[in-house]
Amino acid sequence: MDKMQICHLYPDLLNLYGDRGNIISMTKRLNWRGIQTEVFEISVGEHFDPEKYDIVFIGGGQDFEQEILLPDLLGEKTANLKYAVESNVTFLAICGGYQLLGNYYKTWNGHQLDFTGAIDIHTIGSTERMIGNFMFEAELNHRTIEIAGFENHSGMTFLGSKVQPLGKIRKGSGNNGKDGTAGARYKNVFCSYSHGPLLPKNPILCDFILQTALNEKFGNYELKTLDDEAENQALTAMLRRLR
Amino acid sequence: MKILTFAAILSARITTFILRLIGRGGTSLPGRIALLFQKDLLGILSQKYKVIAVTGTNGKTTTSRIIGSLLFEAGLDFFENKSGANLLPGIAASFAMDCSLLGKPGHRYAIIECDEAAFRTAAPKMQPAIVVITNLFRDQLDRYGEISHMLTKIKEGLLSCPDSTVVFNSDDSLSYSISSSIKNSIITFGINESPYGSDDDFISDAPYCIRCKGPYNYVYRTYGHLGDFYCSSCGYRRTPPDISATDIEMNFERSTFTLHLYNETLKVSPSLPGAYNIYNVLAAVAAVSSFINDQTVLSVGISTFESGFGRMERVIINDFSLTMVLVKNPAGLNQVINFLSYDDSMKILVMILNDRFADGTDISWIWDANFEKLFSFSDRFSQIYLSGMRAEELKLRFKYAGYEPNMLHVEKDYKHLMEKIELDNKENLPVFVLPTYTAMFDFRKVIASKFRLKEFWK
Repeated sequence: MDKMQICHLYPDLLNLYGDRGNIISMTKRLNWRGIQTEVFEISVGEHFDPEKYDIVFIGGGQDFEQEILLPDLLGEKTANLKYAVESNVTFLAICGGYQLLGNYYKTWNGHQLDFTGAIDIHTIGSTERMIGNFMFEAELNHRTIEIAGFENHSGMTFLGSKVQPLGKIRKGSGNNGKDGTAGARYKNVFCSYSHGPLLPKNPILCDFILQTALNEKFGNYELKTLDDEAENQALTAMLRRLR
Repeated sequence: MKILTFAAILSARITTFILRLIGRGGTSLPGRIALLFQKDLLGILSQKYKVIAVTGTNGKTTTSRIIGSLLFEAGLDFFENKSGANLLPGIAASFAMDCSLLGKPGHRYAIIECDEAAFRTAAPKMQPAIVVITNLFRDQLDRYGEISHMLTKIKEGLLSCPDSTVVFNSDDSLSYSISSSIKNSIITFGINESPYGSDDDFISDAPYCIRCKGPYNYVYRTYGHLGDFYCSSCGYRRTPPDISATDIEMNFERSTFTLHLYNETLKVSPSLPGAYNIYNVLAAVAAVSSFINDQTVLSVGISTFESGFGRMERVIINDFSLTMVLVKNPAGLNQVINFLSYDDSMKILVMILNDRFADGTDISWIWDANFEKLFSFSDRFSQIYLSGMRAEELKLRFKYAGYEPNMLHVEKDYKHLMEKIELDNKENLPVFVLPTYTAMFDFRKVIASKFRLKEFWK
């Protein structure tokens, strides 16, 4: 039986409201297709092996928790994360996790915190929070799909030249409330400000991420179709409200 | 100035009267109008009362009601603000409704449930004799912000009330951490043993030390991040509480435990299930401990207590019972799931998820709650109904916890929902309804009009 190894990075610190939902969504959708999963929780003081995992998930956290993990992240883990990104490991990073993969975070009063620099993005703090249900459009498999989520961030993230946006914002703020971009893609890295459970009600995005990781591991992998009625009902209900 | 106070009280009363006349139990509007006349209405009216303020994330309403029960048994006269009127305008209006038009207090004591975000501004005006902080959990981040900000706000509120006696939960590393930054006199409460087996998984809102960021260790845990914590890096730890519980036995209907009150002990048996309600009882006893210590009063006050509005509130409809249990955050919902797991008998489960401001507009917290545990004893639910503005999202959460989607009935219209429940419930099974905040109000209205229950503002 095929098996996928999923790493949940800092699950005890970066677990702001519902981030676990993304892990649940990925494992269930693999299991329903007969693919085994093993989730490894890697936190402060634990080694991150860049060659061990097929999917790495990083969630969001409060400032207090991010301060705890930063010294740990900026040690050995940074080099290993960069190596994993460059070796086409599939990543999903949300909110704080998204920012931590970037170059730095500059607070609104000019104080700069250096991050991992695994992808070429940076974040500028603002005094206004971008908060609420939001939606964006993404091109996945040459199809335009609508994705709904909930954003809650004050950081404005800007993408470097090698990084593509995950989608175009339709309702809400997205990366920075200015340039119309939502989230980021670089190699097999997917990032979003859709905090908490992004994947459960966006099954096409979830499957696209799983497909990416499966192809990387097994070559062209055929993903069985699932009954997504409940998923689509939840998505449609929110899209209808936002349109 | 007096004329403005008079106008403020009058306007609060007239607004309340009109709202009732048109059938609305509004709690915020009368206060907001009254404050237009007299900005310092709360400060002026509350100074003639002995105020007991109750704040914190979970357990505010139940703790306030238990305090009320104890004061009642002790023969002390008091009034309470109504559930939901716990922001500054609502609190101000509650005082305006209790006193005379000239501002003469109607009672000696005021038990005031206070929203934790409103505490910083409401507390300095009221200068409470006693402040109870039940606990702090993550709750509605869209509204309250980070826990560390919440702590700062509560601390600021306390710093402006140096004469208040503050009641802390010594098992809560978060709220108890404030105790070292204030000079107030302090009373602590806590549970001296683990009330659950060790097989429970603990989802902690605070795994790392609030003072030095080192990891906490625990001698035992009660639930969530609560328990006998200690930080080996900086030495921050739980201190033995003044008011505590041991020898805990719990079942579906009640808990029984030994209450330790300084050097005295007392066996009590409140008809409130769940460990979180033991904390609520301890918090209430701690709040009154400086002026009520008669064992009979405490014992009777605790055992005769009936749960408040939507908190394990039980009504009999035709031939079956319907119990409403408010849920609003993962820690609270996990406690309700724990409580439901005690009982082997068949029942009907209803969950209602709204995302209005008062519920929290972000519903992603449902993914942190332990629906997987709920699924593990799902053979005890004959039917599961899902409702509310975000019913579809709830259905998805149930599906990913293991449920077949066709086992889940989505019905957004509360009237139809009640009709379906009545129709399906041929065996008169007990019905458990788990609504979020505004869903509880709306759903309660439907069953109230259908079965002529008491409206909540009466």
